[in-house]
Order: sequence, then structure tokens, then C-alpha cells
Amino acid sequence: MQSKLLLVGCLASVLAVPSYADTIRAALNQDLRSSQPGVNRDGNSDTVMAHVAEGLVSYDRGGNVQPLLAETYAVSEDGLTYTFKLREGVKFHNGETMTSADVKWSFDYYLDPETNWYCLEEVDGTNGLKIVSYDTPDDQTFTITIDKPDAMFIDTLARTDCGGTAILHETSLNPDGTWNKPIGTGPFMFGEWKRGQSVQFDKFDDYQSRSDESDGFVGKKDPMVDSIVFMAIPDAATVKIALESGDLDVATIQESDVEEIRANPGLEVGLAWTPVRNTFILQTRDPVLQDVRIRQALAISLNYEELVASVTEGLGKVNNSPVYDTSNFYTEVQQQGFEYNPDKARELLAEAGYNGEEIVVMCNKRAAVPSFNMSVLAQQMWQAVGLNVRLEVLDWPTQLDKYRSGDHMMQATTYSSRFDVASGFEQISGNKDDQPRKVWENPDALELIDQALATLDPAKRQPLFDELHKMILHDVPIIITHNDVSPIAYSTEIKGMDPWTSPMVLWNLSRGE
Amino acid sequence: MRLPFQINAMVGGAIIGFLLLVALCGAFWTPYDPLGISFSDKLTPPGPSHWLGTDEFGRDVASRLMAGAATSVWVSITTVTLAISVGVVIGVTSGYARGWFDRIVMAFNDALLAFPGILLALGLLAVLGANKYGIIVALGIAYSPSVARIVRGTVLSIREREFIAASRVTGNSEIYTMCRHVLPNCIAPLTVLATSMFGWVLLAESSLSFLGLGVPPPAPTWGNMLASARPFIAQAVWLAVLPGLCISITLLGINLLGDALRDRLDPRMRGRT
Amino acid sequence: MRFIITRTAMAIPTLLIVAVTVFILIRMVPGDPAALMLGDNADAESVARLQARLGLDQPLPVQFAVWFRHLLTGDLGQSITTGQEVLPLVWKRFLVSAQIVVVAVFLACLIAVPAGAIAAWRQNGRLDVSLVSLATLLMSIPTFWLGLLLLLFLGLKQQWLPVVGYVSIADDPWRGILYLVMPILTMFLHELGVLLRMARASTLEVKNLEYISHARAKGLAESTVLWRHAFKNSFGPTWTLIGLVLGNLLGGIAVVETVFTIPGIGRLLVDAIFGRDYPVIQGCMLMIAAIYVVVNLVVDLCYPLFDPRVAVE
Repeated sequence: MQSKLLLVGCLASVLAVPSYADTIRAALNQDLRSSQPGVNRDGNSDTVMAHVAEGLVSYDRGGNVQPLLAETYAVSEDGLTYTFKLREGVKFHNGETMTSADVKWSFDYYLDPETNWYCLEEVDGTNGLKIVSYDTPDDQTFTITIDKPDAMFIDTLARTDCGGTAILHETSLNPDGTWNKPIGTGPFMFGEWKRGQSVQFDKFDDYQSRSDESDGFVGKKDPMVDSIVFMAIPDAATVKIALESGDLDVATIQESDVEEIRANPGLEVGLAWTPVRNTFILQTRDPVLQDVRIRQALAISLNYEELVASVTEGLGKVNNSPVYDTSNFYTEVQQQGFEYNPDKARELLAEAGYNGEEIVVMCNKRAAVPSFNMSVLAQQMWQAVGLNVRLEVLDWPTQLDKYRSGDHMMQATTYSSRFDVASGFEQISGNKDDQPRKVWENPDALELIDQALATLDPAKRQPLFDELHKMILHDVPIIITHNDVSPIAYSTEIKGMDPWTSPMVLWNLSRGE
Repeated sequence: MRLPFQINAMVGGAIIGFLLLVALCGAFWTPYDPLGISFSDKLTPPGPSHWLGTDEFGRDVASRLMAGAATSVWVSITTVTLAISVGVVIGVTSGYARGWFDRIVMAFNDALLAFPGILLALGLLAVLGANKYGIIVALGIAYSPSVARIVRGTVLSIREREFIAASRVTGNSEIYTMCRHVLPNCIAPLTVLATSMFGWVLLAESSLSFLGLGVPPPAPTWGNMLASARPFIAQAVWLAVLPGLCISITLLGINLLGDALRDRLDPRMRGRT
Repeated sequence: MRFIITRTAMAIPTLLIVAVTVFILIRMVPGDPAALMLGDNADAESVARLQARLGLDQPLPVQFAVWFRHLLTGDLGQSITTGQEVLPLVWKRFLVSAQIVVVAVFLACLIAVPAGAIAAWRQNGRLDVSLVSLATLLMSIPTFWLGLLLLLFLGLKQQWLPVVGYVSIADDPWRGILYLVMPILTMFLHELGVLLRMARASTLEVKNLEYISHARAKGLAESTVLWRHAFKNSFGPTWTLIGLVLGNLLGGIAVVETVFTIPGIGRLLVDAIFGRDYPVIQGCMLMIAAIYVVVNLVVDLCYPLFDPRVAVE
């Protein structure tokens, strides 16, 4: 009986693991939304689809916009016309060479309301900016004219949630106009997609790489493996076991697993610093929280060092500023955060006449965000200064509903990443009558944010961000605790891993011995 | 070799008695604050200062198990009581009335049965609010159709028996007949169901917690302690084993006691053992 | 024959009630599919536009009428999040779950029913106590823990079985089976406990009935009594319970599918709930309810085969 079992076991282990010599297997916590870049999307889909489809411009590691399919781009004196010189000899996955006609086709496709492009409102006049016209003076040149100068236009084209405004070949659509699959110019081709399970990308042999150094989404891309398989694995415990058993090569992991994975000789861990902001948002129109002194008391009664160390298992760094800590705009000014002072918090509360009114903090238990853990820890610290704080644990769709309608006192929530700092401010600020989800509606601040959005020159933007930082620390419509640090585990067989903000960018990886 | 009946019942009774004692105690006093966070004591293994170790927030596991016992026991008992009461009322009336009334009630009942508990619990929780009362009502409603089905089946199978007819003939009212003769015959299957259900509630709450829909922490229940211990299986095995053990032992005690009770209460078995 | 027809006809109102209840219940739950799809940055106008495109801006009765009309023609609509046709999607995922549930319950019955009968026969004996304790232990381990332990032992420590992924048996029978072993084992162990207790309880009931005593009085050997009378008769009630269990399992399998990354109907449903993907939720629920109704129909129709008491009536 024993030997029979063993025999079965051996057979199983031989047959269970087919050769993955030239494949990289990576984990996603959820399957792709769709294969249509920038249309039906989420954060997972954005990064994954960047392997297949590329836009005219994209981000480098510092969050700056750089040319990708464009060789160079230039803005006219009046700031209205953008001229893109396309790179020569770029091939689509179907073998066709990319010309300005393909770029024009792609813009026709994105600007067609039927497409439901995620960023259509950013360029059709709904949110201010409007593309007036675009043209193809020659095969290698593409121009876009907009209705007024806007520093954010080029950033919009690069934004990952806009799908990087990827240039696609028209055969991406079926003859009847419905979506088929992406025929792009990226280093990998869209292969077999088993819905709900995995998607396979195959190496594109004719990929025409930029020659400059690899930097984030731009620069040299050198596909070295035959294929990449992204598997959808929802349970973090399963991901960890799969990494240790060798069924997976690359996966982002929980902070609490870092130590254990590091101890495994076959695995390494890298850290990816992101602009994602973990926050508590405060409803400034709430009867209790409308008193700025109570909001300030909430902010200074948190011991951030302890809170962040505990939530991130000692990996993360405190950052109270809306400016993310790896940004070029993060300076000494932004390092100056809230001062932890429980005595002063008690004074402020007494001054404000706080009398034990209940403060409800909504949070959720999604594995990818620290919402729940942050709330449990903060509740303890708030109670220590006499604040009566209750947690309300909701499922994410419910919390999102409350967030969108502003129907809450406080929420522990996590903002998706914005590389551009001004856009990061805009994400949280605005008039609540128009957009109830916005948290900061100080008119002076909104004025400054508009200025920053219209300014290109970093030297002129910095003082604006410094001023905004000081204002938000005083107003406390939001308590930002830290930027996300995402640990990524990978097999020692994988060469070329250099984690950054988007850790699931795998095009330069290879398998060593 | 047969263990005497009494020992069986005594072991079960002892376990349950101890559980109730701990739960009662946990509701008023625990060695540490079950919600008290201590950063320096994170994931301390069982030892002299914390007998059963601490969890990922440095909270004392023994205190949490005690406080959790109070919540878990209370939630389970009320849920089971609710499910049984609702189910018995529906099952008895429907089985006794027969005809179109029975058909309509059973169509609803089957429809409810056909719902996976998860969706029913989620839907009801969202409407009722995510707290322990919500869980009680949601799970109570989710479990009552199986009670109703079993009770109705029993009623149908015995209502034509001689002793029921006899009771009726002697002029006893329907309600008296029902209480005196029909209900006791439902006790055997119901005891088994109720004891299983007690376990289901403890586990359902844990599974809901795993899927992200459970009783809101930080207040401990055995179920959510078990679910939240999952990521720490390598570093802190006591976090999972202890609440798991509590659930297992409780179930064992309840089953032993339940079997003994059934033997006592079931008229067909009375006097046989 | 008449019994079969009335029994089948009774299933229709049940399904109808399920359809209406699911539709209403899921819309009472807060959360908006359009807002979820667009994420935290979307402004109110974009959300409203997407709602309009999905038909979610219509009054509820109108939405229901549209959905119901399509339902009658066999069209369950399209998934909000992925755009897939719901009916083929739900059917495909159901088949994946069904192979796990059916095999697990079948194996569990194979062991649990005789074991439960034996336990009942030796009521309060050592064997009984051990079997009941074992069953209780198995029942009290949540499946997500059992699954994790199997993953750690069979997948990581022994490396016998693949840890993540799924291969359809139709594509590659041998590897397909390997991927199913652990989920089936998890379900099997859990159900073993549940069914053993049920089988024991129903055997206990028949054990003390008159005709058994009669058989015993006739001087038949204890084992013959056990086999010919008690075991056979106890199968009837257990059979009914299996019907109930199968229905519940389809709901409970979500946990197992999450742990083992199996693309079954349970995970589809949970994902759809978290994405508020109404058409998929409705499709899954209807499918599960229909399967449940069919299984119980079959159980009821086969009942006379197992229970001589009913057959006589």
C-alpha cells in the first residue's frame, strides 16, 4: 500500500510539472477585465496589457512622460498643437509596419463614443479639454490640436488607466466592428486567454525596441522568454504556497509573508514603491467633523511611526503628504507631516467642546489594501485620547457606494496611483456639490490646484505643491498615512528583476539556470 | 463492549457546561483586554505572560478565545433557536394543513432552500446591517427551510397513524394533538439537525469571514479568529489551532449531549436503553 | 405517473420565486456595478453614462420585465464586467464544480453510509464513539483550512500535486485529474463527517422500529438484520438528505474553489457578488436553484426504490 502510494506520487510529480523552461508564470489576484486596453479595465489589466500594446508616450520610473512609439514630440509656441514624430519600422503583431494612418485610426477609435474609452471625458470637452483636430502630414508624423493650453494633456495620453492610449492595428476589431483581440506593437503578443484562469502572452520576435536605456514603461524592451503566463489566484495563502513549490515564478505578496519568503533559498523579495496613498478621509460637512479642531485632534493623536510600521511589517515609511515620497516634488517641506501629540489632541477636543460623540470609521477587508488593519490600530490610538470611535466593516462595493455619495463620517480608503502630483491633488479635491466623493473643497486650494494643473515648469510647480501641502495639513480633510510599498517575490531563476512602481512589468526578465 | 449511556451524556454535559461557564466568564472578565493592541507583543508564542500566545496585533489569544466564546455561543444558540422556531411553525402548519396552503408554503420553502447560504446571508446582511444581530437573522432564515422540510415530512408520515386519529376521536383539539403527539415525534430528527446546525453557524460565520462577508471584527468570535489566522500558518500555528480546537471540542460535546438527549426524548426509544 | 407530473410542475413556482427574489435581493444590496467598474476616480457623469448604457438607470420593474422576457427565450443576458454571454458561462463553470461535488459526495456516501450504519448498530460502543468523534472533527474543520493543510502537505511538502491552476479533463485527462484531486479530497473529508452523522442518525431511527425487533426475534443473525433491514431502510432518509446536501454544496464550494483556484460556479458567483455583476449573479443563482430542484426531484422520484414503506403506500 505504502509503495503503491509512493509510485502514484512519483508519477504525479513527473507529470504534474511540464517543462516551463522558457515561460514565466506570474500571479494576478484577479483575471483580466478584458483584452481591450483603456476600455473595460482595472489596475491589473492596465499593467498586463502594457506588454501587448504601446502608446505614443508613456511613463518612465520617475513618473515623467517620455516618448514611446513617438521618436520625439514637440508642443507649439501657443501650446495648442502637439507634433509626434513616429519611430521608423515599428511592426504590429500581424507583421504590418506602423504609420501615422494607424495612429489616426486609433484616435478615431478612441474618440468614438461607441468605444467607451475610459478617458474620453478628459479630451472631448466634458472635463474642460477638447481635442479639436488631428492630422497626418506624412507617414511618420502625427499632429493633435487642442482647444486651450493644458499641461495635463500629454499626461492623459500616457495614463495607464487610459490604456496608455495604445496604438492598435485596425484588425484588432472584427469586420463587424466588435472587439476581437489587441493587435499592438508591444514586446509580447496576446495569446491564449482562459477566462477566469490565466492569460498567455507569446514573445513577439519582430519587436522593434527603443535603443535608450530601459526605464519604466519606456526605453529598451528585450523579450527573452517565449511566453509569460499570468494566472488569476485570489487567495494570498495559495500564492505563497505556489511560489514555494515552484508553481509560480513571480507574484506580489503580503507584507506579513516577506520574512518567510526571504528565508526560502529559492526565492527573493523586492520592494516596489508606489504613489498609491493609504488614507483616512474625513467628511468635512459632517456635524461633528466640520470643526477643524476635531479633525486636527484626529490627525495628531495617531502615532504614525508605530501605525505604519505595524501595517507594513516595518517595510513602509510614514508620509502625510499628498505628494508621494518617490516623486521629484517630495522635498523637506513634504517630509514635515503631522506631529504626534496626544496631549495637544486632548486640548483641542476640549476646546471644540467634544463630548464623546460617536465617530464611525468605515473600512473593508480586501486583501490588497490595509484599510482594516489601519482602522483597528488607529481606533486604539483615538480611544486613548478620549475619542469615541466605532469601526464599521463593509464589503468593498458598499463602501465605494458610500465614498461616491460622501455619505460617511470617516473611511479608511486607498487611492489608486496618479503619477502626476497635481493630478494627485485633483483626485481628492473639488466641490462636493458637484462631486460628492471629493474630500477637500477649500476654494483657495482648488485655485492653487488649477494653477498647478496648467503649469508645466517644475520650478514653478514646486512652490504650489509646498503651499498645498501646508494647507492640507491644517485643514485635515484627509489623513494620509503612507504610500504603498508592494513586496514582490520571485524565483532566483528569474534574472533581470528590478522592481519599481509597476512591479508586474516583466518584459525584460529571463530565466537563468 | 458498550459505554453506559450516562457517561456519554456526562462527557457531553461536562464539555457544554464548561463552555457555558467560560462564555459567561468571558462576557464579564478576561485576563487581558481582548481588543488591547500591543505592538511589542506581536505573535508571541504561548508562554508564561500570555498562556496561549498573542495574535498579529499583539492581542492576548486566551482573552480573545474567552470573549469569543461568549459571542460565538450566544450567536449560535440564538440562530439555532430562531431557525428551529421558524422552521417548526412553518413545517407543522404546512404539513398539518396540506392542500394548496402546503403547496404554496413549500414552494417558497424550496426556493429558499435552493439559495446558497452565502448569497442569502450577504443579501440579508446588507439589508439588516453587518452586526451579530444581522448574522443571527440571516443565518436563522437561511437554515429554517431545512427544519421546515424535515418537520413537515415527519408530520406527514405520522398524521395518519392510529394514535393521532385516536387523540382526535377522543375530542382533543388539533393544537393539543399537535403539541402532544406530533411534536415529540419531530424531536429526534430535529435534535440531530440542531446539533449539526450549531456547528454550521460556528463554521458559516468563519467561512463568511474568509470570503470577506463575516461578522465585523475586531470583536472576536472563534470563526473570525480562525479565518484571520490563515496567513500566519507558518509563523504562528497556535492562532489557528486554538480556535479550531475550541470549535471541534464544542461540536463534540454538543453532539454527545444531543444524542443522549434524543435518546431520552424520542418516544420510540423511551425506555429502551 | 401523475405524481411525476405534479412533482415536476411544482418545481416551476419554486424557480419563479427564486428568479424574483434574487432580482430584488441583489438590488437591495448597496453597491453599483457601474461605479465599481470605473473605480475610485470616475466622476458622476461617467458613472451615469455607463449606467444608462447598461440599462441600470431604468426603473426596477422595467429592468425586471426586460430580463424576464429574455429569460423566457433562454437568454440570461451578458456579464456587466466581462461582456460574456451568461448562460454558456454559467453552464461551463457549473460543469467544473459538478465534477468536484459529485465525485466527492459519491465517495463520501460510499464510506459514510455503511460506517454510519455500523456506528448506529454499535451505539455507544467504542467504535461508535470513535466514528462520531472523527466525524465531528472532520465537520468542524472549515474547508478553507482543510484545503490549506492539503496544499501545504501534498502540494508543497510532498510535491505530489500541482498547487495552482486548472486543466479541463476534456483537454488532458490525466493532468485534469491531478488538478482535481485536492479540491475533491477537501470536499470529501468535510462531507464524510456530515454524512456519517446523518446516516448514523437515520439508522438509529429504524433500528428500534418494530419490524427490526421482529426480525431479531425471528432469530436472524445480527449481521443479516443489519444488512437486510436496517441498512437498506436507513438509506431512504439518508438519500433525502443527500439531495439537501448537494444543493448546499454548490453554494459552499466557493470556498474550495477560491483556495484551489478552480474556475467553478462558486467562485464565479462570489466574484460576481463583489463586482455586483447582476446578470451573472442571477444566472448563477437560477442555475444553482434549477440544479437543486432537479436533484431533489430525482431524489423524490427514486425514493420508493429505497424505502419499502413508501412503496407499499
